[in-house]
Amino acid sequence: MTSARLHGRWGVRRAGATVCAALFMALAASVVPTMSTAQDYRGWATTSVQMVELRPLGLDTVPRADVVTDANGRLLYNGIEVSCVLPTICTGYLPLAEEQTVAATQDLSLTYWGLGVEGLSVTALARVRLHAGSDLMWPRSDDEFDAMLAYAQLQRGPMRVRAGRQDLRSGLGLSAFDGVSASYTYGSARAEIYGGRSLARGLREPSSSALRALDDFFLDHGVLLVGGSASMRTAGILTTARYHREILWDRSSLVSERASLDATTVLSRVRVTGSVDYDFSFEQVGKAELTASAPLRDGRWLVELSARRYVPYFDLSTIWGFFEPVSYSEAVARLGWSPSASLGVWVAGGARSYGATGATVILEPMKDNGWRADVGVQYAPAPRWTLDGRYQLEWGPGAFLSSVDGTARYRVNDRVSVSATALSFQQIEEYRLGQGRAFGAGATADYALTDRVGLSGGFSMIRHRDGGNVFTSPWNQGRAWTSLRFDLGGDPGMGRRPGG
Amino acid sequence: MMVRASHARIWVLVAGALVGLGGLAVSANAVQEAPFPHEAHQGLFPLCAGCHEGVPAGDESDFYPDPASCRGCHDGVREEAVTWSGPTGRVDNVSYSHLEHDAALEASGDPAQSCASCHILPGGQRMAVADEIQLGTCWGCHAHAATEHQVDASCDACHVPLARTAFDLARIEALPLPSDHEPGSFLERDHGVAVQENASRCATCHTQERCVSCHVDTERDVIADFPAAPPGMRLPVAVAHYNEPTTHRAGQWLTLHGAEASRAECATCHTSNDCTSCHVIPLPAAVLSMPSRDDVVAPGVRVAGRAPDSHESVFFMNAHTGLGAAGAETCATCHQETFCVSCHDAPVGNGYHPSSFLARHTADAFGRDAECSSCHSTQVFCRECHVQVGLVSSGRLGPGYHDDGPVWLIRHGQAARQNLESCASCHQQVDCTQCHGVLGAFKVSPHTVGFDAERAWGRSPRTCLACHIGNPLNE
Repeated sequence: MTSARLHGRWGVRRAGATVCAALFMALAASVVPTMSTAQDYRGWATTSVQMVELRPLGLDTVPRADVVTDANGRLLYNGIEVSCVLPTICTGYLPLAEEQTVAATQDLSLTYWGLGVEGLSVTALARVRLHAGSDLMWPRSDDEFDAMLAYAQLQRGPMRVRAGRQDLRSGLGLSAFDGVSASYTYGSARAEIYGGRSLARGLREPSSSALRALDDFFLDHGVLLVGGSASMRTAGILTTARYHREILWDRSSLVSERASLDATTVLSRVRVTGSVDYDFSFEQVGKAELTASAPLRDGRWLVELSARRYVPYFDLSTIWGFFEPVSYSEAVARLGWSPSASLGVWVAGGARSYGATGATVILEPMKDNGWRADVGVQYAPAPRWTLDGRYQLEWGPGAFLSSVDGTARYRVNDRVSVSATALSFQQIEEYRLGQGRAFGAGATADYALTDRVGLSGGFSMIRHRDGGNVFTSPWNQGRAWTSLRFDLGGDPGMGRRPGG
Repeated sequence: MMVRASHARIWVLVAGALVGLGGLAVSANAVQEAPFPHEAHQGLFPLCAGCHEGVPAGDESDFYPDPASCRGCHDGVREEAVTWSGPTGRVDNVSYSHLEHDAALEASGDPAQSCASCHILPGGQRMAVADEIQLGTCWGCHAHAATEHQVDASCDACHVPLARTAFDLARIEALPLPSDHEPGSFLERDHGVAVQENASRCATCHTQERCVSCHVDTERDVIADFPAAPPGMRLPVAVAHYNEPTTHRAGQWLTLHGAEASRAECATCHTSNDCTSCHVIPLPAAVLSMPSRDDVVAPGVRVAGRAPDSHESVFFMNAHTGLGAAGAETCATCHQETFCVSCHDAPVGNGYHPSSFLARHTADAFGRDAECSSCHSTQVFCRECHVQVGLVSSGRLGPGYHDDGPVWLIRHGQAARQNLESCASCHQQVDCTQCHGVLGAFKVSPHTVGFDAERAWGRSPRTCLACHIGNPLNE
């Protein structure tokens, strides 16, 4: 049971605190532009609310009389395998009643210069969460407040020093820590070192406290992170090498020790990007990828080829890595075609093969390869209209997805746009029975109230339709959301929001 | 000899005065009533300096006689009354100084020039003063290799900068266009070299205002030192014209320009505002050195931020991971870190995943087209939701979630090694140790034959103790 449930169905007590915090942040965001005497500031505030409705599964009982035996000898109830230990009652995982949850999020991001010291700035990205509804709860919404980023930075010429909660985006993925980093740039070369308390991957919270609550094996110790990177642009090749080491505070165990090398360059008109990482903990090569991308015929064609190796990464604080997960190797080809400004078509396909697992084979070996395919088109039949379509196929061991969707977007004017989406898919979940098909539809609307304030919202509905030997309606989902965004300052990077 | 020399010097000075005030065709713009009839007064004035008294001393206010002195004879009684008032409003850009020229001649030991040398036609009588200067006299000493006067000559030998003239707008617009000022190439490429080689030549017809009408950076020495127009001088309207350098047309220019960026290289056309249409604080040193749009006259090219070429690829959303990893600082020139979060960790709406991803994420997650755990904690984020919707181990050994084949429990090893991240998104470690630990029900080893237990114990003995009692090497 999560902590949220301990506070009751509506989480009223925490809701009050959260609303107050959200209001405070919104107020701060609104007054900063007028009261500021800063050299500059950048930021944004986003208030979002979403409602999700879905049908959970639960262990339930069914009459033995309604259970049939299939050709493989399995006991099935409406296509769901059940266990019949008792003579009259069987048990199995069945869809429960639909549940709804409402999750609200307030984000505030602010970077502020002008603290009386040349080159000194502070950056904060805070998130306040609130939830309401049934016992169902959106992930992490019981965590009322997250300081996702919070650091002070001093930039003096080629030297940069940061202190506080910060992110690292690198060939080793996204990681975060509370500590200090320092970098120095000399010409086209840059070196950085960092160290501090490591935060749990994907959580931005101390490893021990964040993970211990859910899994008894997570060690009750903080984790110390040290690392560094060196980047250099030479002969048109941009290269970054990174070393990253985590140990327990008491230095009794290594948590992770990895290195990565990433490089990109343009050879003639071909962009080549490569990356590889190495895990010293398990003494094995981790993920690796080499991609070459070339525009052809005045850029109307784009060809991209990738070779990729993927292996799950687990640090030494869990037992998972000692189970020796295997890698897969994948070859991917992508082709894009844009004969005109109003039409773009792309297709991508990949095949992957898993390494030998060394696991004991019972009955018959499982599938050890997979395929992906992706086809998309974007067409603007008129200046205000955009049509998007996409077909996606994912076919691997234990999972399958065949999905098609289409979106029509209409720009009413410079400030208002609306879109409608329809989709259908079939999927097999992880080694799970089920051949149903789901259909869905949705709509969104975006309204730029001013150049700095945008309101958007939408809804989607997915309904499962039986397709023979299936269980009932687990894919039924409803979702509605709205978001109000307020930009502070003029961050040019913020002008291009992917997918927006 | 002394008398002759002095006489000659006077003639030179007078001639120079006339050259300066009424001479060179290229600059003459006299506003004068009918020329003084010198020949008619030939018998009255034995010396030029008698009337042009200020010429030998270089006193321009006394170059011409007082018109009142005419009335000494032309009083309407003895002679017909006249209204001659002398030359007025004469405007030119000639730099000739009778005084300096005379001194130079004397210093060179060649004071042979007289007023007549320049002001009297060859063979003319003493007072047969011509309307135009005899330039041939100048060339006698100032001969140069110029094949074309307005291109090759050293303009400042004879002319003052335009900024020191009193030319009006019409006069400026009437200045001749040198033949080397070819449309296009001269403005685009050659004028920079020309001004470096001989700025005074440019200044003959231009003022600093012409430079700064295009050039953003006015602190460059050659511009800062260029003569500026005096207050009130009306200048032709100059329309700023910026040609895109060939370097900018290279495919990766937008990505690679930072290595060459500097005020010297960029500020001819760009202000810092152009830079900050993409770059964000902290700004690179080159940007900080650039002039601001508020502080310059020229409009600059006013570029607007646009995405680099790499961003235009339809596959960029897949590719930007590698680009960012290779050069995160390149990304940081346009994007702050919070920008990444606004998409990768967007609570709702158009984030990293498509809108219906929740319903369809199973296969994507299973195939790991992207590394979910880079952003999500599979043990917390994924499992927190999966637990609530019933996708969780209950500890029972009967048929459960993985129901597509028989005896899943004893077959799951291969699937687990292929997709262990997915396992961890629903299962806790204790689910595994129920069977795999030395204290588990079946004591099934999760390790392969080649597993290096010694290495594992040496690096993280605590984790080994999750399944083992004591050092597994001793078991």
